[in-house]
Amino acid sequence: MELEKLPNADVRRFRTKLLIAMALVVATITATGLYYAERKVAAETEHDLQRDFQLGLTSLHGVQEVRHAALAERCRALVERPRIHAALEDNALDLLYPSARDELRDLMEDNAAPEAPPRILRARFYRFLDAKGAVIPPSNAADVGELRAEEDASIALSHVPEQQQLGYIRHRHEGSEWIDEVIALPIISTETGDVIAALVVGFKPVEMNGEISEREFRSGIWLNSRLQLPALRGELRASVEGAISATIAAASASSGSARVSLENSEQQLFFKRLNPDSLFPPAYEVCLYPLTDLLKRQRALRWEAGSASALLMLGGVMVSRFLAARLARPVEQLAVDSEENRTQRVRAEAALEITSEELQRAARFSADASHQLKTPVTVLRAGLEGLLSRESLTSEECNEVSALIHQTYRLTGIVEDLLLLSRMDAGRLAIEFTPVNLSLLLEAWMDDLSAQPGGRELAIETDFPPGLHMAGEKRYASLILQNLFENARKYNRPGGRIRIAAKADGEWISLTIGNTGRSIPVAAQDHIFERFHRGSIGENVPGHGLGLNLARELARLHFGDLTLLRSSEDWTEFEVRFRLAQPAEVGRLSVA
Amino acid sequence: MSRLSSLFFTSLLLLAASPSRGQAVIEGHVALPKGHTAPVANKRYEIVSKAGVIATNPPVAVVYLEGTFSKTGAPRAEKMMQKDLTFVPGLLPVEVGTRVEFPNLDDTYHNIFSYSPTKRFDLGRYTGQERPIPSQIFDVPGLVTLRCDIHEHMRAVILVLATPHFVISETDGRFRLSGLPAGHYTLKAWVNSRTTLAQEVDLTSGATTSVDLK
Repeated sequence: MELEKLPNADVRRFRTKLLIAMALVVATITATGLYYAERKVAAETEHDLQRDFQLGLTSLHGVQEVRHAALAERCRALVERPRIHAALEDNALDLLYPSARDELRDLMEDNAAPEAPPRILRARFYRFLDAKGAVIPPSNAADVGELRAEEDASIALSHVPEQQQLGYIRHRHEGSEWIDEVIALPIISTETGDVIAALVVGFKPVEMNGEISEREFRSGIWLNSRLQLPALRGELRASVEGAISATIAAASASSGSARVSLENSEQQLFFKRLNPDSLFPPAYEVCLYPLTDLLKRQRALRWEAGSASALLMLGGVMVSRFLAARLARPVEQLAVDSEENRTQRVRAEAALEITSEELQRAARFSADASHQLKTPVTVLRAGLEGLLSRESLTSEECNEVSALIHQTYRLTGIVEDLLLLSRMDAGRLAIEFTPVNLSLLLEAWMDDLSAQPGGRELAIETDFPPGLHMAGEKRYASLILQNLFENARKYNRPGGRIRIAAKADGEWISLTIGNTGRSIPVAAQDHIFERFHRGSIGENVPGHGLGLNLARELARLHFGDLTLLRSSEDWTEFEVRFRLAQPAEVGRLSVA
Repeated sequence: MSRLSSLFFTSLLLLAASPSRGQAVIEGHVALPKGHTAPVANKRYEIVSKAGVIATNPPVAVVYLEGTFSKTGAPRAEKMMQKDLTFVPGLLPVEVGTRVEFPNLDDTYHNIFSYSPTKRFDLGRYTGQERPIPSQIFDVPGLVTLRCDIHEHMRAVILVLATPHFVISETDGRFRLSGLPAGHYTLKAWVNSRTTLAQEVDLTSGATTSVDLK
C-alpha cells in the first residue's frame, strides 16, 4: 500500500486515533447491548419464574378455596344442628364432639373408604374452639385426630374468629416433621348471629412440586422462622433460613422476591404470605429456583456478544484501515506535495533573491555607468568640436576629428540606450497608454529612412491602412520602429528592398518589417535579442548590440512582443505586435 | 264450649285463691328486664337464648319458695306439648320428681332431647301416634333446655324446683303465691338462666306478706 511506503508519523497517528475511536465505539455498543440483553434475559427469567410461582400458588389457592368452601358448608350445616347448639349452649361440651361426629365423619374417613371425599378434603384432625378461642378437648381423640399438647395449644386463638382463618402448624412425630394447613371457621348461631364457637380443621398442605413446572425448584412453608423442607440439612438449612429470614424481614409487603446466593450458586427466592390477616402466626410459601438456566443463557449471550463484537471489531479494523488509507491518501498527498512545494519554493525564492539582487546590482551599475559616462562624452565632444573649429588644422586632421566626434555621438546613443534599459530592468519605466496613430508614425519613419545619407538605392514597399491606432506611448513606440527601420536599412544589400506591412488582427496589430540582405545564421537566431549581441555579419555595420533587446523589452512593456519571423534566402522579417487601441479611446482622442 | 271451660277454670282459681286456715300468702312484684315485644296472649312465652342466657320473651319470672316441705302425696304429672312446631308451654316449672309427658300434637316428627346437665335425655323421633306418650321424670332440681333435633328453632325450658310452691309471674312482674305454710323461708325468682333473685321471708298463718324482689 501506498500508506506503508510512506511511513508518515502524522498519518500513522491519524490511523491509530481512528482505530481507537472505532474500538471505543464498538466496545461501547457491545457493552451497552450486552448490558440490556442481560437485563432483559434476567427480567424475563424472573418473570417466568414469578409466573411459575404464581401458577403454583394459584393451584394452592384453588385447593384452599375448595377446602374453605367445603368446610364453610359443613360449618353451616353444623350450626344448624340443634345438638351442636345444645352442646355449646347448654353446658354440654362433652357432647359436642359426639354430636358433630356424624356431620364430620367423612372428613376423617379412612382413605380406603369407598365413599371417601376427594383427597384434598381429607382432614388429619379437627377441633372445636369455644367462644373464647380455647380448644374444647375431644372426648375421643381417636375420632378427631390425635394432637399433642403443644399442637393443641398452637391451634388455639386469642379469640373466636369472625372470619375464616388460615394457619399452619408444625408437627413433630417420631423424628419426622411436617406442617399441616389449618382452617378455622366461625360457627355462627342462626338464632342470634353470634359467633358461638369455631371449627378448626387440619389438612395435609398442598405441596407445590415440580409437576407444575419443568424447572427444578425447592419449595416449602416458612413458619416460625423455620423452613419446612426436610431435604435441607445442616449448614445449607441455616444459610437458606438466614436468607429467607432476611428477605422477608426486608420486604414490607406480604410477598416478594430476591436473588440469594446459596451453595455457591445464584437462586431466585420468591415468598408469599399464605395467610394474610390471619390470627394464626404468619406462614409463607417459599420457593427457591436455581438460576443456573439464567446464568447459562447469560453466559451464552456473553459469548455471542463477545464474538459478535470481535467480528465487528475485525470488520471495523479492516474498514478503518481502508477508510484511513482512503482518507489519508489526499492528506498524505497534500503533505508530500506541500513538502515538495515548500522545497521548490525555498529554492525558487533563494534563486529569485539572488537574481533580484543581481538584477538590482546590474541595473544600478548600468544607471550609474550611463550617468558617469554621459558627462565625459559630452565634454569630449565639446573639446573635439572646439578642435575642429581651429583653422590651423589640415583637412586630413579635420577628417579625423570629425570621425572622433561621430564616435562621441555613437557613445551617447549607447549610453542612452543603456540608461533606458536599466530603467526598464529596475521596473521604473511605466508606459502611459494612449492611442497612437501607428500609420502616421510609420510614414514619418519612412520619410526619415529615405532621407538617410549613404542611400543604398533601397526600394520601400508598404502595406498598411491609414489611421491604424495602437495602445501605447508614442516615443517608445517610435523608438521600437526606429530600431527596426535602422536594422532593415543597415543590414540591407545595395539595391535591395524593405517591406513594411501592418494590419489589425483581432485585438492586436501585427506589424511586419522585412528586408533583403544576408540572413542571420540559424545558430545566431536564438541570440539576436540578447544584449550586446551582434550578428557575425555586422562587423562593418554601425551598431552596438542593444537595439533589438531594447525594442523587444519596450514591445513587451506595451503587452506586445517582438519576434523574428524568418531570416533566410535574402530575406529577414521581424514582427512586432501591439494592442489595438479601443475605438472609444480613439474617438475621444479625435474629438479632443 | 269455651265458655264452659272458662267457667271451670275460674271456679278452680277461686278455690285455690280462697285462703284456708293456717295458710299464708305472698304477694309482690319482681323486677323484670324490659321485653322486646308486646305481651303474648294465652301465656305463651318464647324461649330465647342470648349470649348464652336463656330467658323468656316476654320476660316473666318463676317465683318459688325454697325450704323444706313435707311430701305432698303422689308424684305430679305435667305435659309439655309440641304444637305448631313450638313447645307449649315454653316455660314449665315443675316440682322435683314430676313426670313430664311430651305429646306430639303436630302432624310431623319431633325429636325432643336435652343436653342440660340437670337432665339429659333423648326421646328419639316420634309422631302423635306414639303410645305411650314419651315422658321423663325430672328428679334433679335445675334448668332443662328442651330442643327438637328436627326443628332447630324449637326451644323450651323446664325448671325443676325442689318445692311444691311456685308460680309464674305476670309479664308486668306481679305475682301471688298462696297456700304456703308459716315459717322462715327464702323466696326466689328465676328471671333467666343467669339471674335468680332471692329474699328471706317470714310467713305467718293467715297473713299476706308483700315482697318486692329486685
